[in-house]
Amino acid sequence: MIRILKRWLPLALLAALLTGCGYNDFQRLDEASKSAWSEVLNQYQRRADLVPNIVASVKGEANFEQETLTKVIEARAKATSIQVTPETLNNPEAFNKFQQAQGELSGALSRLMVVAERYPQLQANQAFRDLRVTLEGTENRITVARNRYIQTVQEYNVLARSFPTNLTAMAFGYDPKPNFSVQNEAEISRPPTVDFEKK
Amino acid sequence: MAFQRMWRALGALFLIAAASAAFMAAAWAQQAVPALAGRVIDQTATLSAGDRQALDAKLAAFEQRKGTQIVVLMVPTTAPEDIAAYANRVANTWKIGRRDVGDGVLVIVAKDDRRMRIEVAKTLEGAVPDLAAARIIDQQMKPAFRNGDFAGGLMAAADQLIARIDGEALPEVASASYEQRSLMDVDWEHLILFLFFGVLIGGPILRKLMGAILGPLAAGGLGGLLAFAFTSSLVVSGIAGLLALGYTLLAKPASFSGGGGGSGHGYGSGGWSSGSSSSSSGDWGDWGGGGGFSSGGGGDFGGGGASGDW
Repeated sequence: MIRILKRWLPLALLAALLTGCGYNDFQRLDEASKSAWSEVLNQYQRRADLVPNIVASVKGEANFEQETLTKVIEARAKATSIQVTPETLNNPEAFNKFQQAQGELSGALSRLMVVAERYPQLQANQAFRDLRVTLEGTENRITVARNRYIQTVQEYNVLARSFPTNLTAMAFGYDPKPNFSVQNEAEISRPPTVDFEKK
Repeated sequence: MAFQRMWRALGALFLIAAASAAFMAAAWAQQAVPALAGRVIDQTATLSAGDRQALDAKLAAFEQRKGTQIVVLMVPTTAPEDIAAYANRVANTWKIGRRDVGDGVLVIVAKDDRRMRIEVAKTLEGAVPDLAAARIIDQQMKPAFRNGDFAGGLMAAADQLIARIDGEALPEVASASYEQRSLMDVDWEHLILFLFFGVLIGGPILRKLMGAILGPLAAGGLGGLLAFAFTSSLVVSGIAGLLALGYTLLAKPASFSGGGGGSGHGYGSGGWSSGSSSSSSGDWGDWGGGGGFSSGGGGDFGGGGASGDW
């Protein structure tokens, strides 16, 4: 009996060690977060491709607010000019920059859509209404893709920081990955004030 | 004394946990995802029993014919979430759509919010693009809902969705032979690993127990029998049996004593039974073709579809 134990215990220990160190989990989650990130980029690209169409259809409207339009164009140029490489994921600074640029484009686009409400002719235009639906769908997809990225990164980071897998992370140099946040955290955590009084 | 202290500490911990749970519930008072009780779930008691049955029958017939799962959900409100976020959460929890295909559609109506949404799984984003979903909402649902005709609007929307998905080339509805084929696909890798280790451990033990001739024969027979039970293929099981026989014949007898052999055998049989139970309880969806309805578990919803209001 003891001899069997002597024979199999080291093997069992080795197996437990190999599965317990989480090396494979790191590989799996790293790959999962990369593909989730690709999906985020994919959807952002879809939005960037949509912007010229929206701008073109809005330009058809005479005397459309020029300022709003140029802001969208500039934000898109800025967002697409940022080079995104796989290293962006491991570089919090580049990640923040990218996120900020996309956030600006989000803001400019939603402002454009609000302004467009004031132009009845634009609202009656079927092509513009279709673009509006497409943009809305794209924004939804971006939200879902970001959510999934957030979840995989969370899993990865928990693995990278909890014992004993953090030892593996240290040994191989796996740092926690950056995650999405919002630019205006203070602003959105305050309840909005609604004021109907005319000034 | 020490016990008392421990109990007190435990009680305090429990209180903290309960308080934080209550706080979380207050902070994140999201609507719960309802149980997937059928193809038509009406929490607002708007549809009459007859309407519900008619709609259910239409969707069930379509699922039988094409395989696609369409579910209609009516809730009072989705607050505090947007209907798009809520619909995505519900759809991804239910995962409606066949397991290997992922073709599901969720039609959701928030009656008090006066908003509706058609949430489309990724597989069907080609058949029902966002624009098509928006048209269905604008042309079928919106006018009917404005007149208070929810059943009519949902029926018309279901007809439109069915017509669109019918035009898409989706895999055929699963038949018995299809299931058997995928059973083999699933089990291949596990089976090889399992037999490999089974023979590696069980072979020497059998040889020790039953002798140099009878042991290998038993190992070969057992290996072949098990392989046949899993794959139901004579060729595969024959090869597995021969391999087991060859290995056990050539392998050195196990180097532990007779007493050890007995307990070793116990270990071996434990290995067999756990192996077979793990492969028989493979990830099979409870995907009944008959009476009851359950999600295929394959739908992946990436935010496709459209929302509208009335």
